[in-house]
Amino acid sequence: MTIDYHPVAGSFRDPAGFLFIHDGAVYRQVNRWGQVDYDTLMESGLYAALVSAGLLLPHEEVALPAPRPESAYRVLRPVQIPFISYPYEWCFSQLRDAALLTLQIQKRAFDFGMSLKDSSAYNIQFYQGRPVLIDTLSFEPYHEGQPWVAYRQFCQHFLAPLALMAHRDSRLSQFLRVYMDGLPLDLAVRLLPWSARFQSGLLFHIYMHSRSQQRYAGATIAPERAVGRMNRIGLLGLLDSLETAVKRLRWREDVTEWGDYYDKTNYTAAAHEHKKALIAAWLEELAPRNVWDLGANTGVFSRLASARGISTVAFDVDPGAIEQAYRTARLDGDPNFLPLLLDLTNPSPALGWHSSERQSWLARGPVDMVLALALVHHLAIANNVPLPRLAEFFSHLGEWLVLEFVPKEDSQVQKLLATREDIFVDYSQSGLEAAFAGYFAIEKREPIAESCRTLYLMRALPYRV
Amino acid sequence: MIALSGISILSGGLLSPTPYLDPGSGSYLIQLLLAAVLGGAFLVKVYWQKIKGFFRNLGKRKSDDPMA
Repeated sequence: MTIDYHPVAGSFRDPAGFLFIHDGAVYRQVNRWGQVDYDTLMESGLYAALVSAGLLLPHEEVALPAPRPESAYRVLRPVQIPFISYPYEWCFSQLRDAALLTLQIQKRAFDFGMSLKDSSAYNIQFYQGRPVLIDTLSFEPYHEGQPWVAYRQFCQHFLAPLALMAHRDSRLSQFLRVYMDGLPLDLAVRLLPWSARFQSGLLFHIYMHSRSQQRYAGATIAPERAVGRMNRIGLLGLLDSLETAVKRLRWREDVTEWGDYYDKTNYTAAAHEHKKALIAAWLEELAPRNVWDLGANTGVFSRLASARGISTVAFDVDPGAIEQAYRTARLDGDPNFLPLLLDLTNPSPALGWHSSERQSWLARGPVDMVLALALVHHLAIANNVPLPRLAEFFSHLGEWLVLEFVPKEDSQVQKLLATREDIFVDYSQSGLEAAFAGYFAIEKREPIAESCRTLYLMRALPYRV
Repeated sequence: MIALSGISILSGGLLSPTPYLDPGSGSYLIQLLLAAVLGGAFLVKVYWQKIKGFFRNLGKRKSDDPMA
């Protein structure tokens, strides 16, 4: 008996198994090749320990026919992650939390006689507001004396980018878009300030590590001869040192463009409250299952949705805003809110092998509702995107659109126009409505109190999404 | 670098002379060197914490003792 399925494009490297999608849900086939590792994970008590601590995504074994029965051992149905995100979309603290999670899991695995065979940042996802390991097949029995095979990957995927973000600039996380297997350590060495080598963890795991890589690049090691060279205490010392190195790295408290946006806004308190009330009412009325908030800043309005139990992803181009959004939500323990870094004028493309290993941003939609609050003027005026193109773009993202229109007379738009010629003849309320009419039906149109702004509720025409 | 020459000692006989690009080799070898150093440091740290914990408990017990 066979089933309809298609394999998840990013899941092909590990012979122990692969992910596939069947009937809209993600499943994992465990191959017989990975049988021993999987059974050891389940029977050693490690699986139960990690799941009860919230460190590993739980799964259940299901009776679904395997898509590739000739190699199959088990079929698993993991808990479904509402939105898959990638390390180049995370802020500093998200990557740091993911790094600390990986080390914590590796230490727990040792207690149960197992070890992580890889430490890819792509194996971590944010679920219910916290990072969690999603790859059940990342574990192998630990043989005393064996080095940690995932050490190099940990340094490249986590330590090097975090060091650059902390010591240079948080925007350097974007290197992860280019280097899919993490930042090459020799590159990190060239980019880090000279003073970074005074931090012992970075000296050991980046500088000396990089030198060693260069010096022994032409050498090969017979795996069986590497075993027995390293004792357990040495490995625990290595992990402890990595953990200390990561914990010492701190977010640079840069003054960001938008970080204090809500303090600088031209809104009165009444306008702010009125806007909140309108959005809250529409959320209650339409009860969307998921929401994307575009240009979300620190997520004040996104959290109107997440507070109602709606799975909400907040996107913003500013790392400072996303950092603040993540920290606030983590402190509040909001399980439905995920803030991510995204430049709407150049959203995450499809990347990796066959240009399909990592999904593009658009491919991860559509959603039930999109919020575009005080965003259109940035795209239309600061980035010269014509209004009809904006309308078409939004129509691909979701069925419902909550859009705030900020007219030319608003001081925020005046600021954008202050240093340039006003070539935007169509940028007006009537121009907006005309441009969107081809893609959306305008359901509601509410002027925001004590402001010249208008909040729209629009519904994509049926053939669009 | 002096530290890196330590790798040669620790890895005696581990390296094969076959020229083959294996970016993992250097990572394996530095791990052996670092583990030797950091393992010792880790033991010192663990025992130091135990000693500190012992005296902290001792102090606590004394202050908890109504007869003290």
